[in-house]
Amino acid sequence: MTDRLTFLYPEIALFIGTCVVMVLGLSRTLQARKASALVTGLALVVAGYMAIASTPRVGEAICPLTGICFSKGLTPGAGQLLLPQMPLYAKTLIAIVGLILLLPCAGTVDRAEEAAIASGARRFDPLRSNRAEFYAFFLFSLTGLMLCASADDLVWLFLALELTSLPTYIMVAISTSRNKSREAGVKYFFLGALGAAIFLYGFAFIYGGTGSTNLNQIARHIQDDGLNSLTLVGMLLAMLGVSFKIAAVPMHFYTPDVYEGAAPQVSGFLAFVPKTAGFISILLLAATVGWAYAPGQSGVGAMLSAGPVEPLRQSVGATQLPELLRITLWVMAALTMTVGNVLAILQTNVKRILAYSSIAHSGYMLVGVIAGPGDGTFVNSGVAAVLFYLLCYGVMNAGTFAVLAALERSPGKDGEPREIETVADLKGLCATHPQLGWSMVICSLSLLGLPPLLGFFGKLPLFTSGISANEIPLVVILALNSAIAAFYYLRLAFTPMLEKPDAGAEAIRHAPFFSRRVGAMVSAGGVIVLAIFGSALTDQATQAARVRSAEAPAGDTSAAAPPAAAHPAQPATPGPRLSKR
Amino acid sequence: MLTAIGTMVTAAEPEGGGSHWTLTMIVVLPLVSFVLCGLCAAFKVKSKLPAWITVASLAAAFVFTLMAFMNAGPMIAAAGAEHGAEHAAASAEHAGHLTVHVFDWLNFDWGGGKSSSGRFDADFGFYIDGLTLLWMLFVTGLGTLIALYASEYMAHDVGLGYCRFFAAFSLFVLSMSCLVMASNLLMLFFGWEGVGLCSYLLIGYFYKKPAAVAAAKKAFIVNRIGDLGLLMGILGVYAAFGTVQYDKVFEFIHKGVDAGGHPLTTSSWIPVILPLLLTAGAFGKSAQLFFYVWLPDAMEGPTPVSALIHAATMVTAGVFLIARMMPLYTIDPAHTILTFVAWGGTITAFWAATIGMAHFDIKRVMGYSTASQLGYMFAGLGVMNSAGGAAHVFSHAFFKATLFLACGAVMHGFAGQLDLRKLSGVRKLPGWKIVAAAMFFGALNLSGVTFTAGFWSKDLILASSFEQSPAIGWILLITAGLTAYYTFRAYFRVFEGPVYFEPGDEVHGHDEHEDHAGHGHDGHGEESHAHDGHAQGHGHGGEFHPHAPGWAINTVLATLVVGCFAIIPLVGFAEHGAWVGKMVGASSAAMHGGEEGHGTFLGMNPHSVMYYVSSVVGLLGIAAAWWLHLAGRTSAAHANADKLEPALGPIVTWARHKWYVDEFYDAVIRIPLKFLSNIFYLLDQYLVDGLVNLTGFVPKGLGRLIRPSQSGELHGYALGMAGGLAVLILIVLMVAR
Repeated sequence: MTDRLTFLYPEIALFIGTCVVMVLGLSRTLQARKASALVTGLALVVAGYMAIASTPRVGEAICPLTGICFSKGLTPGAGQLLLPQMPLYAKTLIAIVGLILLLPCAGTVDRAEEAAIASGARRFDPLRSNRAEFYAFFLFSLTGLMLCASADDLVWLFLALELTSLPTYIMVAISTSRNKSREAGVKYFFLGALGAAIFLYGFAFIYGGTGSTNLNQIARHIQDDGLNSLTLVGMLLAMLGVSFKIAAVPMHFYTPDVYEGAAPQVSGFLAFVPKTAGFISILLLAATVGWAYAPGQSGVGAMLSAGPVEPLRQSVGATQLPELLRITLWVMAALTMTVGNVLAILQTNVKRILAYSSIAHSGYMLVGVIAGPGDGTFVNSGVAAVLFYLLCYGVMNAGTFAVLAALERSPGKDGEPREIETVADLKGLCATHPQLGWSMVICSLSLLGLPPLLGFFGKLPLFTSGISANEIPLVVILALNSAIAAFYYLRLAFTPMLEKPDAGAEAIRHAPFFSRRVGAMVSAGGVIVLAIFGSALTDQATQAARVRSAEAPAGDTSAAAPPAAAHPAQPATPGPRLSKR
Repeated sequence: MLTAIGTMVTAAEPEGGGSHWTLTMIVVLPLVSFVLCGLCAAFKVKSKLPAWITVASLAAAFVFTLMAFMNAGPMIAAAGAEHGAEHAAASAEHAGHLTVHVFDWLNFDWGGGKSSSGRFDADFGFYIDGLTLLWMLFVTGLGTLIALYASEYMAHDVGLGYCRFFAAFSLFVLSMSCLVMASNLLMLFFGWEGVGLCSYLLIGYFYKKPAAVAAAKKAFIVNRIGDLGLLMGILGVYAAFGTVQYDKVFEFIHKGVDAGGHPLTTSSWIPVILPLLLTAGAFGKSAQLFFYVWLPDAMEGPTPVSALIHAATMVTAGVFLIARMMPLYTIDPAHTILTFVAWGGTITAFWAATIGMAHFDIKRVMGYSTASQLGYMFAGLGVMNSAGGAAHVFSHAFFKATLFLACGAVMHGFAGQLDLRKLSGVRKLPGWKIVAAAMFFGALNLSGVTFTAGFWSKDLILASSFEQSPAIGWILLITAGLTAYYTFRAYFRVFEGPVYFEPGDEVHGHDEHEDHAGHGHDGHGEESHAHDGHAQGHGHGGEFHPHAPGWAINTVLATLVVGCFAIIPLVGFAEHGAWVGKMVGASSAAMHGGEEGHGTFLGMNPHSVMYYVSSVVGLLGIAAAWWLHLAGRTSAAHANADKLEPALGPIVTWARHKWYVDEFYDAVIRIPLKFLSNIFYLLDQYLVDGLVNLTGFVPKGLGRLIRPSQSGELHGYALGMAGGLAVLILIVLMVAR
């Protein structure tokens, strides 16, 4: 039990932060209320430090920031063993990007309310204030995200995914005072529930097929007894359901509406947090099945035929997912990136462009999932590519949304300043607001994947891993889509840089929150700095992507533990070891 | 950033950790300075702060270079002594070198690391040997001095322009350090492009002046052509040896095989094509042969830039490249490409000297002189005397910097005046003694007067040239005479004779005065403001008061003159280039022995008689200059030389117009290209654009087709999700069956 807790220090830190923020945000004094954002940031810093310092790790891994190697000498007995190093990397990444995402969140809620209180028109009323909820949900969602990374059980994974998503529904709804946000929140909630239903259904199938909810045991079962069709269907449904979180076709419909309805900083949050949760889950599920099947074995014929069904066996030297899953993900990847990019071209609203671009990027990353861990080197490992791309995408995408958050137009009818809407609003931004303009240019070009920016180094391993996994047609589609994406990213980059504001256009101005501007510049700086010092990070991603093959140690009887031992009610049961070092 | 680098350094190999730090600091300090100058610009600093930051960091970098030199010194001295004593094969292995790995920069492997060819490694690391240290010593040393000089010279631009200048200056030193200290060709290439960029930024410093912008573009574009060659050369090296790390490449060459184990000498392309491609890059950067056109125009930049970048350091990068890759050049037993390099250098040396003889703008004269002297260096490399080539780089860096900075002081003091027909007797004005002395001693060096540093280094090249190929030797010897003539022509016209001066055009146009950056020449600022009232009267003496240089300029000039003398024992009085020879002997540029030429100078051993011959030739040149430009001269505009002009006919005019090379390029390259581009434009307009619009239409059309799915209605989306799921599963079942 205590073994298990050592994995969860970051989550515990975030949770404590959440509790503090919830109380602090309702304080009567303005200073205390304002401190809630600070506490949120502090909680993230502590969580990030905890992730680096306290996560027990297998083998050596040097922290990219401190260069210090902590080792508690713990056996890898607790936690999931399929991607044993991934939680460390993922939690560090979540803490860093979380901090970047926090910067533009200043003043998202309660702006009018606080103004009224400051002018003395109204007294502070806890019932009208949203600040506590907002930051608490922010942290709750990130806690869920970190829990996803440490999940070693289907039930845990489900709860973590929901903990990630439920707060975001509310964050969307309260992010502005417009009805559009509420509509977006409701839409997001209902469709999210539908998605959750699908993957929970899938999880049930998996439990039915293997008799266990523990990922390690499921992997063990699949390795020993083969992948039966029930488990296969379960995996299929689970992955399709989780693809709601990453906004992949056919679960992508909500994306543009929700992103458009939410405040830009919350849209930026949505583009990173649920996506990361989704990809971590998909990687975990895929690692449970294993990338060790020969190409010919589709398993479908057997599934459709009546009579006794022969389960799919892993074979030595094979390096792909079961054909059925591979084709599902293949079609999803191809459709996702194409639909995302093609629809983005038609948009004029910046947030909708970025929403479709977020869909397209999910498609890119699915290529890495299909490619699998390869031989474990950075260029050949699709898993490492996905993990590294999550970092790249998190940094550069936060920048574009932060730019939008840091700008506003004159107040509309409801008295609230209106947001930047169309690309035309960005005209001449580099001249009028150079810091934000250039941040937008850098982040857009990085999203496009222009060398030598971060996006290029992120996208490159997706290509190389796809090629080494022999997925040439998919890589060609990826390349074509990258070219199509240039169409709208260049528009986002060149409109601020080269065009002049229209003569009659209304002036845009800085939103009165300095930290939003800082957020944009930090992202843009990160895009450049991380591109230069990327090799340490790629090493970390490569470490994190190490997939443990579930080979059975000789004479390990505990491995044959009955399914009941890992009943959902007892997730803390020390899982049977898949292999010993 | 500092800590990040620090961590990486300590994480690198532990052996010799101390010297790693010093080496890394050499690169880090200019970077810090660059960042700080950038911050100064961001915070709109309106003082000389950026200059002091730059001077301090570069001085510290120089100290670290010295420390690195002390650390690596014993090893290099040992290897160099061995080389000098035996004058025998000191191969890359024997010559001491130190490869320092700072951090992994670009490391790729594919094919699962099973085959050795499936790797590409380029570390961020340093390859330290005699050549590296020699270059770094004068890059950082002269960089410091010239930054100090510039602190006063650019004073009229204090503000944003000042920050911009020093930021680019620091970036230049950073790039140059990367270029020189690189442990592999890719890092060299990045440094190479970096210095090219800084050169572009600094030539175009007065970006509101069309000539400066045009010159910047010209330099950049001409360099691109050479850089293409260099890049192809680097790719070729990778193709041949499977690596771009120097130590590994040299190891292969030493063994005489390529990555596949085939002998190099039988290869159809490695011995000739590879060095030829690298030579293209070297000639572009060092303004040789038909690439030389950019260098004279580059004089549009502020003078400190001309001194540092376009005389002392950047333009010698080409020499450095060939010296560094010398093992590659010597694979070919016939030395085809080295001969080509020698002839390229020789022709440029002569060609540029003739133009220098006719020009009236003293800074341009120095510009042509630089191209000419670079020609000598390449000739030195080409005739297998890399020690001579490097020694000349070393001494040239000092005396040419001196000459440029003296010219800059004149320009600064006389409101941009550089025409030698409009200045005379400057030495006799109060406050100009140090400038005149600096110019005089620089000119002595450039002319190769006996016992100066320039004399020793030029001698090495001349003697080896006669040994290898008397034709090259004779041309270079004649050029030496021409050099002495044009150098002292400039000196005698400007600094000697009757006192007379006209201010340059920078005292005109008061309406432009609000805008400093827009001003054409350097040096306008203060005095034109101070003398606004009387600037109109710019006759003899008149009301224009020349602005004598201040302490910074004088200190730097005096230091450089002392430096010119101090380096004499480093390059002279010994066989094979003394100390510099030892340094080069302990590097990849060490020449394999047993390749003695048999040419003679009129039947005598060139190495023993060249001292006397070149002294005589130099003195003859000076005498001619004295006779034609000083003797009996009563005005600034006219001298005895004018009487010669009719006799020479059109030659003078041609030389004055740079032998119409620019016009020739215009007719042969630009006009056909423009014609071609017009054709392509039409093709593009009607054919390609049509196709592009068509392809652009496909995704758009596709988008329109699926757009209705985004109706915004909740139940529609839910239906879409469920339906999509069903369709996807159906597709999968059908495909996967």
